[in-house]
Amino acid sequence: MNKKLTSRIAGGLALASAAALALAACGSSGGSSAGGSSGGTTTLKLVVADYGTGPSNTSSKYWATIVSAFEAAHSNIKVNVTTIPWTNFDSQVQTMVQNKNYPDITEGDYFSNYAQDGLLYPASDVLSDPSNLLPAFKAQGTYNGVQYGMPFTTSSRTLFYNKKLFTQAGITAAPQTWADVETDAAKITKLGDVGFGLPLGNEEAQAESLLWMLGDGGGYQTAGKYTIDSPANVAAFTFLKGMVAAGDTEPNPGTVDRTPLWEQFAQGKVGMINGSPALIPIIQSANVLTSADWTSVPIAGKNGPLSVTLGVCDNVAAFKSNGHEAQIKEFLDFAYQDKYQLAFDNEYDLLPATVTAAKALSSNAVFAPFLTALPNSVQYPSDTAWANVKTKIQQTIGTAVTGTPSTVLSQLEQTATSSAS
Amino acid sequence: MPALRRLSPLLWLGPAIALIGLVVLWPVVVMVQSSFQNISGIGFVAGYNGTANFRTLFDDPNFVSVLVRTVIWVVVVVSITVLISLGLAQLFNQRFPGRRVARWALIIPWAASVMMTALIFKWALDPNVGVINVILHHIGVVKHLGSTQADWLGNPTSALLWMMGVAVFVSLPFTTYAILSGLQGIPQEVYEASAIDGATSWKSYLRVTLPLLRPAIVVATLINVINVFNSFPIIWEMTGGGPGYQTATSTIFMVDLKQGNVGESASMSTINFLLVIVIVVVYLAATGWKEQVDR
Repeated sequence: MNKKLTSRIAGGLALASAAALALAACGSSGGSSAGGSSGGTTTLKLVVADYGTGPSNTSSKYWATIVSAFEAAHSNIKVNVTTIPWTNFDSQVQTMVQNKNYPDITEGDYFSNYAQDGLLYPASDVLSDPSNLLPAFKAQGTYNGVQYGMPFTTSSRTLFYNKKLFTQAGITAAPQTWADVETDAAKITKLGDVGFGLPLGNEEAQAESLLWMLGDGGGYQTAGKYTIDSPANVAAFTFLKGMVAAGDTEPNPGTVDRTPLWEQFAQGKVGMINGSPALIPIIQSANVLTSADWTSVPIAGKNGPLSVTLGVCDNVAAFKSNGHEAQIKEFLDFAYQDKYQLAFDNEYDLLPATVTAAKALSSNAVFAPFLTALPNSVQYPSDTAWANVKTKIQQTIGTAVTGTPSTVLSQLEQTATSSAS
Repeated sequence: MPALRRLSPLLWLGPAIALIGLVVLWPVVVMVQSSFQNISGIGFVAGYNGTANFRTLFDDPNFVSVLVRTVIWVVVVVSITVLISLGLAQLFNQRFPGRRVARWALIIPWAASVMMTALIFKWALDPNVGVINVILHHIGVVKHLGSTQADWLGNPTSALLWMMGVAVFVSLPFTTYAILSGLQGIPQEVYEASAIDGATSWKSYLRVTLPLLRPAIVVATLINVINVFNSFPIIWEMTGGGPGYQTATSTIFMVDLKQGNVGESASMSTINFLLVIVIVVVYLAATGWKEQVDR
């Protein structure tokens, strides 16, 4: 009996120690993967956004081309690429950082927060020639006087409209003012289509909102201070609220994301929509509209077309945490070559981020108008409050076109000023 | 040896206790600790800040409406689930051809990933091409595809109703099975006795079946309350809590807060945790749970 008991105890001990070993094993494997270097080979962790519209042109293909060429030339550096769709890119990268599972290279709007906590290499440490980056985005990537965020791709916004629907509705001129947009949208709505596509859902509400704020001389900031509830911004959203109430937009704009609405435009079901060059491949792959059926013009403002537009870049950032400065520099210098810049722009119809690549594209008929607009483009705020403010804008600003614009905007202003302090 | 014998249960219980301590109790401690710390959106702890997180949370204009909505969400989803399950369990307790297949089929909503189910419903409700809207359009309920009427998930009220429907749908299998096993535990003799006493079938259901089912219903309700309270994938996938926070429950709100302020998000979690404990304790006291189980 006692023998039985002791053998049971022994069995139990064996089991318990096996479990302990298993737990310890989990712990250690988690630990070593963070380091990422063994036997003279360094593994870089590259976390990038997916600009593709589907499996056929996913950005992991684009990066695989660069990485295989890079690895062939650098036998001691491996690059692991993770691509994440833009819709939840920021939150996924943020989760990695919250869990101290740092990438080596990533992109996105949080770079100034990372820089604030000393997590990033300055651009000059990880790029041989940072002056080749487009100067228009230098201030945007700067935190405390040092550039950390590096543009890899850029874009600017224009107003796209469906010429076919315009003709059907008997409209002859391009929309230039808010009043034009309103009357044209009403006419197209009568045809049974969406007059104006207004994506104020989570995906990119901060871009759509800013384009309307700019139309009345507003914006997120005035002289470096948040002024989200300025009279100009309230006026812009009051105007939008009128359009929504009249049924000239898609139903419930506060819940509609950019990508599905762009796809609807590509299907010929939306009269007007603000878009970036990235809308062009979506139109082409839908194969419903011919290139004669649509065009794009400067964004409509309150009293006339805007002379400035929203310029967006992706803000590449290099993390210090894994200590791979030299390897990151090797890789970024390699990836920033003109041929890869141009390959990216041709694949996704986005704009280059380097001076030399922009020069190479300046004679291209499609890109030239967007490129000339870039130097006087307006950019998002780049202070450390922006990441939090942007999240709140994405979640709540859509309710301004159904609720009370001034209330929603002043709540956002409150978030901004309390995050900034 | 007797001393060793007295300790031996500990050896068997030890790993389980250690596991519970590690994966249940320790996170609770960290959660409460975090709710009193100043933690930035990228996870850096800048020391303790007293009750500041809780004050920010209570000052949030959305906080109260989110809590009220959470309570409505739990009460409606759980009570409808239990009511339908009572009927379904009764049905599945009858003998009929194909019962085995029907019982298997009931498992499907349970076996499928909730996120998957939520996504399927989201797509089926697409205002332009969703299959539910297309059918409703054909039978004349939805006048125009792509209209405000067809945009079920864009309007907070109709979105919540649809999501409650999905939550009931995924909760039914477990609840039905719990009640079904309760039904099978009721001996046939009590029904014979009540029939001899002249009880109609409705009366014997009310006076015999329901009282004897009570333990099963208590357990099924309790587990559902906890599940539905913390339910995340359905709302996250179907509306993300939007427009604004108008369809968010406290769990969704907590996840959204985490983007900007981890400390405030931890405060929300702590309140969630306390609320679940309070609800469970009140419910157990009200149903006289101890007598049910100790019998």
